[in-house]
Formats: sequence, structure tokens, C-alpha cells
Amino acid sequence: MSDAQADLLARIPRLDLSRMRGYPRQDGRKGIRNYLAVGYLVECAHHVARRIAEPFQEQGAQLIGFPGCYPSDYAHRILEAMCTHPNVGAVLLVSLGCEEFRRGDLKETIARSGRPVELLVIQDRGGTRATIDEGRAFAAAELARLKAAATVPLSLAELTVGTKCGGSDGLSGITINPAVGHAFDLLIDQGATVMFEETPELIGCEQHMASRAVTPELGAALVAAVAKADAYHRALGHGSFGGGNIKHGLSTVEEKSVGAYAKSGSRPIVGLLKPGDRPRRPGLHLMDTVNDGPVRLGIPNINDTQTVTEMVASGCQLIVFTTGAGSVVGQAIAPIIKGVSNSRVFQRLSDDIDVNGGTIADGQETIQEVGEHILRKIVALASGEQSRSEALGHQEFALAYKTYEPAGPACFPLG
Amino acid sequence: MPMERRANIVKLAAADNVAVALSDIAAGEMAVDRAELAVTAREHIPLGHKIALRPIVAEEPIVRFGMPVGLARAAIAKGMLVHVHNVRSQYLENEVDHYE
Repeated sequence: MSDAQADLLARIPRLDLSRMRGYPRQDGRKGIRNYLAVGYLVECAHHVARRIAEPFQEQGAQLIGFPGCYPSDYAHRILEAMCTHPNVGAVLLVSLGCEEFRRGDLKETIARSGRPVELLVIQDRGGTRATIDEGRAFAAAELARLKAAATVPLSLAELTVGTKCGGSDGLSGITINPAVGHAFDLLIDQGATVMFEETPELIGCEQHMASRAVTPELGAALVAAVAKADAYHRALGHGSFGGGNIKHGLSTVEEKSVGAYAKSGSRPIVGLLKPGDRPRRPGLHLMDTVNDGPVRLGIPNINDTQTVTEMVASGCQLIVFTTGAGSVVGQAIAPIIKGVSNSRVFQRLSDDIDVNGGTIADGQETIQEVGEHILRKIVALASGEQSRSEALGHQEFALAYKTYEPAGPACFPLG
Repeated sequence: MPMERRANIVKLAAADNVAVALSDIAAGEMAVDRAELAVTAREHIPLGHKIALRPIVAEEPIVRFGMPVGLARAAIAKGMLVHVHNVRSQYLENEVDHYE
């Protein structure tokens, strides 16, 4: 046991790291789930893919896909990352046949990663019924194999965890978000890799982020990423601060941003990722969620799930999602832990929420204590326990068109 | 063992010169956190709003969660409400009074 781990166990009661197990992958990463990903490569194949996966939803068949028919390097990259994600043990691809997705390339990449993969082209297989029958036969056989797969011990240092907020309220920034920040500090001190996101919601935090960057070049890249988000959203005509915020006690746009930023904790920032980029070292990363180039493909991320999907594509085995109004979402490839900012919504949606940060506002618990609850929940999920959204069968997944330039060398300052 | 007390403010970082109200605090009421902090509210501090933990001089940064979140438009006495009437943004104009 490392000194850091002994210190953690001494400080945090009821933390059991001994039951954490992972599925080892050829690339050295470990999954906390052993899913069969069923991916449609155009909306026209969505129904068939859904019907294939339906009977196996409780057994780990997870539906993902891209609706577009036109080519997209971004979508290809994200689906490739999903199909070779540590939580995925086998893949079934469903294509209509005439879409422009490079299905052969994708299949080859998956096969090279050591995973069993099947590609069914509906037009070649004889239509809906025949493809569903073949797909279900493949799914049944693979799921039986995945269920029997051996696991190995897993440490906190082998986890990659992302955080996202959605439907925030006036308490988010003072209860559940700082608690996530504390949990992230604890994870980083154990050698874990973590990431936060939403550059448009960080306007005003860029200089503080730069001061936490491990090199001046990375600091400049973080400032530029927020400036890009600001310019992009101004061009789209999105304002982010107004009467509702002021009514809830927020005085400035930068104060509002601090509420979301609190999820990032206090440790140094070691890298800036674009969706699908894999962190090259442990520690805290920012994900750049806004398109590069001119405004041309609409709103960068159409909903919370697309942002979560991007963090999962960058290797997160699980996500900590915070909400004030009460989100119920999960994710297809990485389980979601949901934390809420207030006890009123916790009581109303108790079936959907894993951690109540409202106890901080109620004066009953500290930010640190709720942060420790979040860490225990992360450990429980990595020990095979289901999160609320998993138990309820949530498998959200979203991809839309975006464009990115490759990340520059400043984004990975430590190699 | 410290006496259990019900906090009605939270101070998010050690360097902060404001705390955030966890419930409506009336003028004259004591504002306390889970630790040692105690300050008398000199005016009504609504839930989610900020109270000055010490005297703040004009043009001094308002520090919340260890970060500057605006500048004091004028001196703010300890225990007073800190909001748009006495804080300005270093980014976007927040002069317009949306506040009811």
C-alpha cells in the first residue's frame, strides 16, 4: 500500500478499496464494466440496432451511434474511442449500407484493439428482420463470454473520472460542486486522472485556471480556449448572465462561473483535451468543448449528454454529474453518479440521485464530508455496485456534427 | 468535541472575504458556519447571497472560493450584503439593476 493510500484510508472512514476490480484491456487500461456496445452508423440503422440490443439491456448491451449520413471526422473519432473504451469488451456495428461512415476502418480499429467485433450491413443481410436475428445471435454469444471474463484488482490511480453539471441552481456552486472539487482533489492525490469541461461556463475563471497550469504555455492555451468559447457564444447570440442569476445572489458573470469551476477542486491543471484526446498523464485536465474555426455547425454541444459522451470518449470510466433542478440522465458506456445541490430535490427524486449535497445547505454536513461520500460512491461503482441511473436502465448517448483541429503541443506540456 | 451548531453561512475558501448564506438571515442575526466563524448580519442576507466577513475597501476584489468575482464599488462594512449594488464585474457590465 502506498503512503498516499494509507493516509487516505486513515482520514476517510468506511472507505473500502479492496473490492475494486477491473477488466484488463490490451492497451493497458482497465474497464469497470464489460459492455457489448451496439453502434448504429446512421439514423437509418438506429431502429435495427435498438431492436438487437433491447432484449439484452439488463445484461450489458449498450446502444450508441451517430445519426448523420454525411462524413464527420469528429463523429468517427468519438465512435472509435467509444468502441475501444475500457468499459467495452465487444462491439456490434449496424450499418444501413449507403451512408458515408467509414465502417470498414472502424471495424478494423476495433479488431486491432483485441475486441471481438461484427459488422452487419442491413442492405446486404436482407433487411430489418434478418439483421435483427443475426445481431441478437452475436449479442447473446458475446454477452455470455463477457459475463464470464476474469477481473483483476483495480486502484484509484487507474481511474479516469469526469465531471459535468446540468440544471444548476443557486446552491450548486456552494454545495455539491465544491464537494465534487474536494473528491477530485482526493482522487488526484491518489494518482487518478480527472477532467472537467464547459469552457463557455468558465468565463472569468481563465486567469485563475492559468495560474494553476503546470506551464505558462498551457496557461495561455487555457485562456485561449475560454476566449474561443466566449467569442463563439457571442456570435451565436447566447448570453450567460442575467436577472435570474442576480435574483439568486450572483453579482457578476465571473461569480457565476466560479460555481461551475468549483467542481475542478484545487490541484494543478496538467493538460487541455479536445474530445476523444486521451490524457497522457494523471492529474486534472480541462476539456475544450467548443468547435475550432468559424461558427458553422450550430450550437457546439446540443445537450448535457453530448458533453458527457465527449468526456467518456477521452477515457472516463465513470462520470460525476451535478444538478440543482434534478437531472435523471445516465450514459451508455460510462456509469454516471448524480449529486444534487439541495435536499428538496433529493427528496423528490431520491430514486434518481446518488449523493445529496443539500446537507451542506441544511448545515448538517461540510463540503469535505459530502466530497467523501462522492469518493465512496466512486469506489462502490468501481467495485461493481450500480449507480441509480444504471439501475434504472439509463443509456443516454448523443453525437452531433462538430469540427476540431488537433490539440497543439502546449496542451500536453509534460509529454 | 466542538458544540454542534447549525450553520447558516458557508465560507468556500480560507482567503474569502465573503461567505454565502445557506438560509435567509435577518438583520441583527448571527451568521455562523460549521467551524469557528461568526459575524452579525447588519442587514437582511437572503439565501444564496453574500455577507462581508470583514471590512472591504473600495476597489478591493470580492473573493469567493479563493477567486476574485468582482470589485467593490465602495467601502463595504463587515456584516453587510455584498451584491450588484456594491460590486461590479471585471468582465461584463452588471450596472443594470435586475434586482427586485
